[in-house]
Amino acid sequence: MEGHQRNLYLYERFNARVLGVSRDDVTTLRYWAKGLDLTFPLLSNVTSFLGVYFQIQPDGKPIFGRRTVIIDKTGVIRYVRDGSPEYKDILLFLKKLNQEGGKS
Amino acid sequence: MKKKILTILCAAWVVAWLSGCATTQTAPKPYRISPQGTVIWEDELEFAPPPLGWKLLLPEEGGDISIGFMRMEPGAFPSSSSFAYDEEPFGCSTDFEGREKEFFKRFLFNAILEFKMLEKKKVQVVGGEGLQVDVEGKDPIKGEKVRARVIFGKRGERIIGFYMTQWRPIDGTYDMSAFDDFDKFVKSFKFLKKSFYETL
Repeated sequence: MEGHQRNLYLYERFNARVLGVSRDDVTTLRYWAKGLDLTFPLLSNVTSFLGVYFQIQPDGKPIFGRRTVIIDKTGVIRYVRDGSPEYKDILLFLKKLNQEGGKS
Repeated sequence: MKKKILTILCAAWVVAWLSGCATTQTAPKPYRISPQGTVIWEDELEFAPPPLGWKLLLPEEGGDISIGFMRMEPGAFPSSSSFAYDEEPFGCSTDFEGREKEFFKRFLFNAILEFKMLEKKKVQVVGGEGLQVDVEGKDPIKGEKVRARVIFGKRGERIIGFYMTQWRPIDGTYDMSAFDDFDKFVKSFKFLKKSFYETL
């Protein structure tokens, strides 16, 4: 997440916005964001429907798996990677998407 | 008989040397030495190597460039020094004051030390303005202390960092010659090309 915060100025340049989604409650996320000085929105999804939708909700576990998803301006999922975010890969993809004229 | 033994030893030495070559080929070094004696790191960075006694530390995984050196020093545990260049120091701000605050929230976090600021000053680093912060941290429970120097500089729009830590038993004496080696390393440091982020 700190990597996303460092890259915010580049996301802005590529017409992209970043959101984090977690099953933690709002208060926990607020403390977490404060600790890491994050300024982008974090969504609290305690009931986990987003995790089910994005297929990152392991059965019987109270947390989401880690997945990076890039959605273009038409709502089409264009990029999906599991595990820790590959920041350089994400930036190159957003640059390409922006050059195509797609607003993510 | 003596000649035969010598022949066998020579053959064994050649085999050992070739094995070494084979190892080098499978894991190429990320650096080379220039004719001037400086280190050229992945054709991107250039710096003067520290004196003998400092061992190179490499990150276990890929990612943004981080290079470090370490040396064990005389005296009881934890007497040692290490310094590093970090392409992505803790924090996110692109201004020095903001980054300093963010960085020191997490620097040596796991050691749970009580830090005291010793000195803060503007410096010149990698061809531009920078900020140097010297701190000392103490752990009276474990009986350890650390003196650290952190230098923030800029590469394009982003902040980069150099840091040096020297650990001692709480009643130990710091060896400031290690800080001189660190300062020489930082002073010699150059970027040979634009970073990934500058090319976007």
